[in-house]
Amino acid sequence: MAELWNTIILEPVLNSLIAMCTVFGGNFGLAIIVLTVVVRLILFPLTVRQTQSTKAMQSLQPKMQELQKKYAKNQQKLQQEMMKLYKEAGINPLGCLWPMLIQLPIWIALYQSIMQALAATPENLLNLSQHLYSWAAVGQAVPLNEHFLWLRLSRPDPNLILAILVGGTMWVQQKMVTPPTADPRQRSMTSMTTMMMPLMFGFFTLSFPSGLALYWVVSNILGIIIQYFVSGGWGYLRAPSAPKPTPAQKPMPTQKIPPPAVQPSKTAQKAIEESKAIKKASEEKKRGLFGR
Amino acid sequence: MTQYHKFLSFLLLMVNEMAGFFTIKSKNKLSLILSVIILGLITLGCAGQTWQGWSGFTAYDGILYFGAMDGKVLAINPSARSQELPFPSEGEWVLPVKAPAAPGGMCGPLGCAPSAQPATIYSTPVAAGNLVYVATYAGDSGKVMAINRLAPGYDEEGIPSWNEGEWFYPRKENKSIGAVVGGPIVVKDTLYVGSSDGKVYALDAVKGNERWEFDTGGKIWTSPAIKDNVVYISNYEHKFFAVSSMDGSLIWEIELPAAVASSPVVAGNDVFFGTFDNQLYAVDGTNGNVKWTFEGSNWFWSTPVVKGDVVYAGCLDHKVYALDASTGEKLWQFTADGPIVSNPVLVDNLLVTVSKSGEMYVLESDSGDLVRTVDIGYSVMAPLYAEENMVYVHARNRCVYGIDVQSGEKVWDFCYSDIK
Repeated sequence: MAELWNTIILEPVLNSLIAMCTVFGGNFGLAIIVLTVVVRLILFPLTVRQTQSTKAMQSLQPKMQELQKKYAKNQQKLQQEMMKLYKEAGINPLGCLWPMLIQLPIWIALYQSIMQALAATPENLLNLSQHLYSWAAVGQAVPLNEHFLWLRLSRPDPNLILAILVGGTMWVQQKMVTPPTADPRQRSMTSMTTMMMPLMFGFFTLSFPSGLALYWVVSNILGIIIQYFVSGGWGYLRAPSAPKPTPAQKPMPTQKIPPPAVQPSKTAQKAIEESKAIKKASEEKKRGLFGR
Repeated sequence: MTQYHKFLSFLLLMVNEMAGFFTIKSKNKLSLILSVIILGLITLGCAGQTWQGWSGFTAYDGILYFGAMDGKVLAINPSARSQELPFPSEGEWVLPVKAPAAPGGMCGPLGCAPSAQPATIYSTPVAAGNLVYVATYAGDSGKVMAINRLAPGYDEEGIPSWNEGEWFYPRKENKSIGAVVGGPIVVKDTLYVGSSDGKVYALDAVKGNERWEFDTGGKIWTSPAIKDNVVYISNYEHKFFAVSSMDGSLIWEIELPAAVASSPVVAGNDVFFGTFDNQLYAVDGTNGNVKWTFEGSNWFWSTPVVKGDVVYAGCLDHKVYALDASTGEKLWQFTADGPIVSNPVLVDNLLVTVSKSGEMYVLESDSGDLVRTVDIGYSVMAPLYAEENMVYVHARNRCVYGIDVQSGEKVWDFCYSDIK
């Protein structure tokens, strides 16, 4: 299994990364940036699909909560009603799962490639030899020059610059996709997660090789750019508490959640309409993006 | 922090980030749980080591000296080991070597704080006179030290202390010359060593004073080779140098398509070494002209052995090649069960080599015919050492094996993990 993984996924990414290093005159930092951009571009259609599916799912949340309360004691009925709701809204509940499953191995391979290519110790360098192709560009690049700007890519950044960049970009990205909520308990939980994750990532950056942190920063920035264009703006970043409806995202998914017990049917109808509107808007945007 | 911890942490981070796209009710709880697990892994992982070393042996007065994988220097007596006498017996000792403070120790909220750590030894020590010379890796904090091989110092509590005549370089406790991977060489009264700070140092072997240094401009992970007052050294910037051993002045330098992977060996007027583009080079030692190259299917990592007009080179493509030293023509090849990392050795008309997976091969040196195999049972990356009919192997299970080449018998073994 490990052999198969190495042959099909890891080695192509690893050798491309090292060969790219030769193309950029032995600059491994630049190779990491370019390969991250290339991988993001290749996975762009999947990211768009995933973002759209997620947004559509978000729009159904009020109705979901309502159903969960209503059928709290009858799980089977709850499942049936949920599936019915998805069907009515024209959403495949696994729609945001499979793009994720395809992306995950590629990100893991990119991570492994950066770690292996850096080969900080003699043992790592020897291990690297068993994964390289006989390309001239690969042989000429190894062992890689680990210096990039002020960084030694196989070592953590001694300054706080990368940690702040990783944490900051992560916070912006998280803030853009995390909808505000009316439930005070959930709101405190959400804000805690939104703050905690970037802080933790920033903390990890102090221990991880800076080559990997560089990849995180680039990946986050690209994520923000993609999110900006696909969602048509800064999303929830600009409206943390009470987002106003915009023509493209009309109306925002979690805006004014009415008490479910009072107007259940209206809520359900509204949620489905919202979901359809988002899907339609996303489709138009997607056509626009790809049509350029 | 170990690779395993880093990978696991990364995996969890990725799952966490992906999970962020869901707005299911349990998402926040999931994120928090994952975050706590990651934090635990990072904290635990920081204390881990990612390098262990693979020192070979040097022998003097019947005692073997080598660097252990836990940062100790050991002296063992093969005669005592074959009689299974308790350690330490005559001439035997163990000396822990600590590296100066270096980044990568314990991690806290402000990053990984400096801490003392085992020195880690990749290079094979050298013994001369009453001293044994050891160069350490220790991340970026390598040093060269001369230890009294007859009586390494301990204070009353058994803690190592420095004796008269022993020295270390650089002298200041927290100074370093960077990681040393290739071994030092001692010729007459001068010690030569290359370091990852890109410099070759020539030191007074008796007092440890610096005689000269030569900056190659790129990381050095190989040993120098010396012949006729010329020091041959390579760096990872694709350069190979010939430097005067007297004053460190440059005689010639060549630029190669790829960096040099193996330490060089000099025979006659020629220098032989392997590169990262899978080539074995023969270079004229007087002017740097390339005489021939031979291409393998992977790196020639181990230092070749030359006898008469034949070069024996182990390769990471699992093969051992015998090449005509004058032309580079292949005389024979032998395929092992794994990459050849260790330097092979010659014992009379036998070539002894070991694969990384721990299978030792005894071959006829003139034909490459297999005489016998000996299963070490554990991975081997350290250079082999031969003395008379015995070959000594330092395996990755932290054990040393004495093997009779003629019979293939494991005469003795010695595991040092439990030695205090």
